[in-house]
Amino acid sequence: MSITRYARTILAGSALLGMVVLGCRKETPGPDTPIADGGVQVDLGNMPYSTLSEYRFFLGNMADRVPNTGVLPYAPITPLFSDYAHKDRFIWMPSGAGAQYVSDDQVLAFPDGTVLIKDFWFEGVQPGDVRRVLETRVMFRRNGAWLFADYVWNDAQTEAFLDLNGSIVPLDRKDADGVVRHVDYRIPALAECHTCHKSDNVAMPIGPKPQNLDMIMSYPEGPMDQLARWAAEGYLEAGYPLAIQHLVAWDDTTQDLELRVRSYLDVNCSHCHNEHGHCEYRPMRFAFSRTDDISNIGVCIEPEEIIDPGWTHIVEAGDTARSVLFHRINTTNEAYRMPLMGRTVVHQEAVEMIARWIEGLNPPCTD
Amino acid sequence: MKHGLPFLLLLSCAGSAMAQDDCANALPITAGTYNVAAINGTEVPSPICAPNGTGATAGEWYTYTPTADHSLTVTTDLPTNAGLDTRFHVYHGNCGALSCVAGDDDSGSGLLSVATFNVDQGVTYYIAFDNRWSSAGFDFTLIEGNPIVNAVNFTTLSIPTSGTTSCVVDMNGDHLDDVVGVTSTNININYQLVGGGFNNVNIPTVQATNTPSWSIAAGDIDNNGYNDLLYASGSGVSFMRANANGTGYTTENRTDYIFCQRSNFVDINNDGHLDAFVCHDVAPNCYYLNDGNNVLLFNQGGFGTTGGNYGSIWIDYDNDHQIDMFIAKCGSDPVNQLYHNNGNGTFTLISPSLNMADNVQTWSSAWGDFDNDGDMDALVGASSLGNGGHKLMRNDGTTFTNVSPGSGFDAFNGTSIEWITRDFDNDGYLDVLGGGKLMLNNGDMTFTQSTVTPTNGPTGDLNNDGFVDILNGGTAYLNEPNGNHFLTVGLEGTISNRNGIGARVEVTSALGTQIRDIRSGDGFRYMSSLNAHFGLGADETADVVVHWPSGIVNAFTNVAVDTAITIVESTATGVVEPAPTDALRLFPVPTSNILYITGPTELRGDLVKVLDLTGREILRTYLTADALDVASLTAGPYVVQVIYPNGRVLQERFVKE
Repeated sequence: MSITRYARTILAGSALLGMVVLGCRKETPGPDTPIADGGVQVDLGNMPYSTLSEYRFFLGNMADRVPNTGVLPYAPITPLFSDYAHKDRFIWMPSGAGAQYVSDDQVLAFPDGTVLIKDFWFEGVQPGDVRRVLETRVMFRRNGAWLFADYVWNDAQTEAFLDLNGSIVPLDRKDADGVVRHVDYRIPALAECHTCHKSDNVAMPIGPKPQNLDMIMSYPEGPMDQLARWAAEGYLEAGYPLAIQHLVAWDDTTQDLELRVRSYLDVNCSHCHNEHGHCEYRPMRFAFSRTDDISNIGVCIEPEEIIDPGWTHIVEAGDTARSVLFHRINTTNEAYRMPLMGRTVVHQEAVEMIARWIEGLNPPCTD
Repeated sequence: MKHGLPFLLLLSCAGSAMAQDDCANALPITAGTYNVAAINGTEVPSPICAPNGTGATAGEWYTYTPTADHSLTVTTDLPTNAGLDTRFHVYHGNCGALSCVAGDDDSGSGLLSVATFNVDQGVTYYIAFDNRWSSAGFDFTLIEGNPIVNAVNFTTLSIPTSGTTSCVVDMNGDHLDDVVGVTSTNININYQLVGGGFNNVNIPTVQATNTPSWSIAAGDIDNNGYNDLLYASGSGVSFMRANANGTGYTTENRTDYIFCQRSNFVDINNDGHLDAFVCHDVAPNCYYLNDGNNVLLFNQGGFGTTGGNYGSIWIDYDNDHQIDMFIAKCGSDPVNQLYHNNGNGTFTLISPSLNMADNVQTWSSAWGDFDNDGDMDALVGASSLGNGGHKLMRNDGTTFTNVSPGSGFDAFNGTSIEWITRDFDNDGYLDVLGGGKLMLNNGDMTFTQSTVTPTNGPTGDLNNDGFVDILNGGTAYLNEPNGNHFLTVGLEGTISNRNGIGARVEVTSALGTQIRDIRSGDGFRYMSSLNAHFGLGADETADVVVHWPSGIVNAFTNVAVDTAITIVESTATGVVEPAPTDALRLFPVPTSNILYITGPTELRGDLVKVLDLTGREILRTYLTADALDVASLTAGPYVVQVIYPNGRVLQERFVKE
C-alpha cells in the first residue's frame, strides 16, 4: 500500500477562505445575521439551539460560511455522494482536549464538546442560477454521547432553523455540463440520521477516520497535511502514526481502479454494511480495510434477497447485468437502491467506474 | 459456417431467411445434441417464457414434434458449455401468435439452462434461444422421458399494467380480484370482468409524495364499498381514498416520518372502522387510528420501543376472535414479537411466554393452520441465515413448538424477504411460498419442494377459476386447475369493517376444518386478495362459518363448492340457516323491461343489485315481486345479485336489449 498523500482542495471552504485572505469578504451582512466578532458559542447543556446563528460558527454573512476562530474546515479524501450536493465540513473542539487516534479505519475518539458541522448546498439553482444552502447538520458530543441537530436554511439564506422532522426540497439545478436537472432533495428526520450514524445502536460520526483524512489539503496559509493541521490546532493528540492505510480519491483516474472502487464503497456503504451497522446481517463488508478480500464486496456471493432471479450474485464477475450491486447503485427505486438513503438520483460517474471494475473481473463465478 | 449446419442444407435455404433465424424458418430436430454457433437470428423470441425479462436482441429457432407423449428435457447444462450463459423459451401455437410452454435461464450449473416439461404426441413445439445475457455459441441436448406429473403448473398471461404492480385485490366491490399498478400520479386498474379478461383503466391522481416502494395495503377506510390504498415509502405514507363510485381517488399525503416496511389495514380498536398499521425500520411502529369519521390520527408507540420492524401480520393466534399481531424483526434488534389483543384497544407483548421470541433475521412470516387442527401455526422464514434458519412453529394452544426438524424447512437454505401461505394445489393444506421455492404441504406438517418454482408476488384469482394465481410485474402466472375442488369466500361487513378484515372464516368438509383470517397485507411488500380461498381436495360440499370482528357469527351448511360466494354480515346472529345451493333463474334473457327472477327460496323482500361487467353497481333495490324493472338500463350485459338476509349471495348474468 502506498502512503502517498493526496492534495485536495476544499471546494467552497478554500475559496471562501481565500476571499477572507484577499479581503473580499462581503461587508454587508443581512439584517438577520448580526454576527459580530466573538467566539463560538457552545453551551452543551442548552444545545441544540433553535437557530444556527446562535452557535456563531460563521462570521459575517452566514451563507458565505466564513468560519469563526477555531472552526476548522476539513475534507475527506473520498466524500459520501449526496445527490450531487456540495458539502463543507468544519470541526470545532473546546480548548484543552484533542481527539485520539484509534486505528486507521475507525472514527477518531473525540472529546466531549466536539462539534462536527456539515453544510449541504447546490450551485446553479433555478431560477436565477444561484447558490443555495439547504441544510447544516450538526453533531455534538455531550457526556460521552453524540447528539444530532439539523438546521434548515430559509429562502433568504439568512438563517437556518432547527428541524428534525425531515422534509423534501424539490429543486432544479444546473449541473457542470449546463444541463438543468431536477432533484427532490431529502433533508433527514432524526431517525434517518440515526439509521447510518450508529454502531450497535449507539450514535456515531462516520467521516472523520484517519484513513479518509490523511492527505495534503489547501489552507489559506498554504497546503498542509490535514492530520498535522488538526494536531497544530490541538484537535488531534500526538501519537498517531505517520503511515496510514488511506483511501484514494474515488475520482482520481491516476489511481488503481480497484482501490478507487474500494474507497468509494467504504465511504458510501460501509457504515451500514459492517458487523455493527444497520445491515449487519447481510454478508457484505464494505470497509476499505476488509475489501482487499473482494468476496466481502460480494464477488461471486449469492444474494439473500431475491430482487430478480437473473441477478445471480452480489457481484457477478465480468457481468454487470447479473450483478445485484450494479443494479442497486444504478436505480432510484427506494426499495432497491443503495445506499438506502441520502441518495435519490444515480451517481452516474461512480456507477460507470464500478461497472468498469465489474466487467474487468476474471474468472467468471463458477456457480 | 454461421450455424454449423451442413453446407447442403444452407444451399437449400438460399433465397429465404437463414434457417433458425426466425420462427418461420425454425429447424426441425429430434432428441439429440446440437450446436448453435452464435445467437444472431433476426427474430427475438416472444413472449418471454424463461425468467428474467426482456433485453434480448436476437434468437435461434428450432421445432420439435414428438411421436408419442413424453417429457422433454431441453438442456445446455453440458460440460462443453462450462462458463457460458444461455436462455431459452419453448412455445406451441403458430409463428407470430406463440404461447409459452416452458423456458429457463439459470436452472443448470453456473448460468446454464435446463427445463423438463410434458409434450403431446403430434404437437409441434418451438424451442428458441435468445441472447438475453450472451450471444456466444453453445451445445444443447433434447432428452425424451416418461411424462411427469406436477402438483401445480402455471401458464403465463401478459397484463397491460404500469407502475409499481404490487397489488392484486378487488377495487370495485365485485369480489373479483383486480390488478393495481401505481405511480405517484396514476392508479392503473385492470378490473377483472365477470366473463373473464380485464378492463384496463387509468385514474390520474394528485401527486402522492410517497409511493409504495416498500409496501402497499388496500382496505375500505370509509366503508363505501371501494377499497382505498396505502402507499408506504421510505419516508412516510400517502393514503389514496376512493370516491363514492370508485372512479377517482383523493390523495392524502402524510408528513409523519416513517421508514415504512410492511403496512396493513386492520381495525385495531374494533370500532368497525379500519385503521392503518405501518412497521418502522428505524423507530417504534406507527399506526393511524380512524376516528370513525374517516380521519386518520397518527400514533407512534405501543407496539415495541425499537426499530427493526419489518413484517407485521394480523392473525388470531388464540381463537378468541380478537385479532392479534406478529412482527418479523431483523437487524440489530431481531427478536420477533407477538402481541395479544386484550379486546379493549390495548395489546400485550406475549411472545416470550409462547416460545415465539426467536431472533432469526426475518422480514416476514407465513401464518396459517398448516395441520388443520383449528389454530394458526407460523412459518417464520429467514431473510438471512446468520441467526439461524427458518422456524416452523406449531400452535399447541398454550405454547408454540418448533417442529422444523424433519419438516423440510430445516434443510432448506433458500432465503427471502417474502414468506406467504396459500393452498396452491387446492388439496386442503396450506403451502408456503418463499425462499425462491414453493413448499407443498404434505398434510402432516412436513413440506416438499415443488419442482415448479414460482416467484413471490401479490396473489389472487385472476381468472376466477378457484386456483391461486401470482402476479410478477406485468405477467400473471395462472395456476392451472388440477381437478381438486375449492371454495372462495368474499366478505362484506355491515357492522364490522366493510372488508371483513380480521374475520375468521372456517370451512369444514370431509377432509376437516380449515381456517383463514382475513388480512390486508401479508408477506413483506405486496397486497394480495382479500377473499378467503380454500382448496377442498376431493370434497364437493362444505359448511362455512364466519366469525365477524363485531362478534356476529354467520353459518351455512351444505354449501356447493367450486364457486366464489359472497357472505354479507347479517344481524341474524346465531341463526344457522341452510344455504341455498341452487342458482337463480332469470326470464326472459335477453329482456327489454321486466326481468323475472326466481330462486331456490322465496326472494321477495331480499336485496337485489344489478352490476355491469366491470362490477360497478348500477341498481340496488329490495324485491317486492318476483320481477325487477330493468327498463332504465342501457342495452348490454349485466349481472344480477340477490343477497339473502343471512348474507348469502347468488348471481347470474343477463342481457338488456
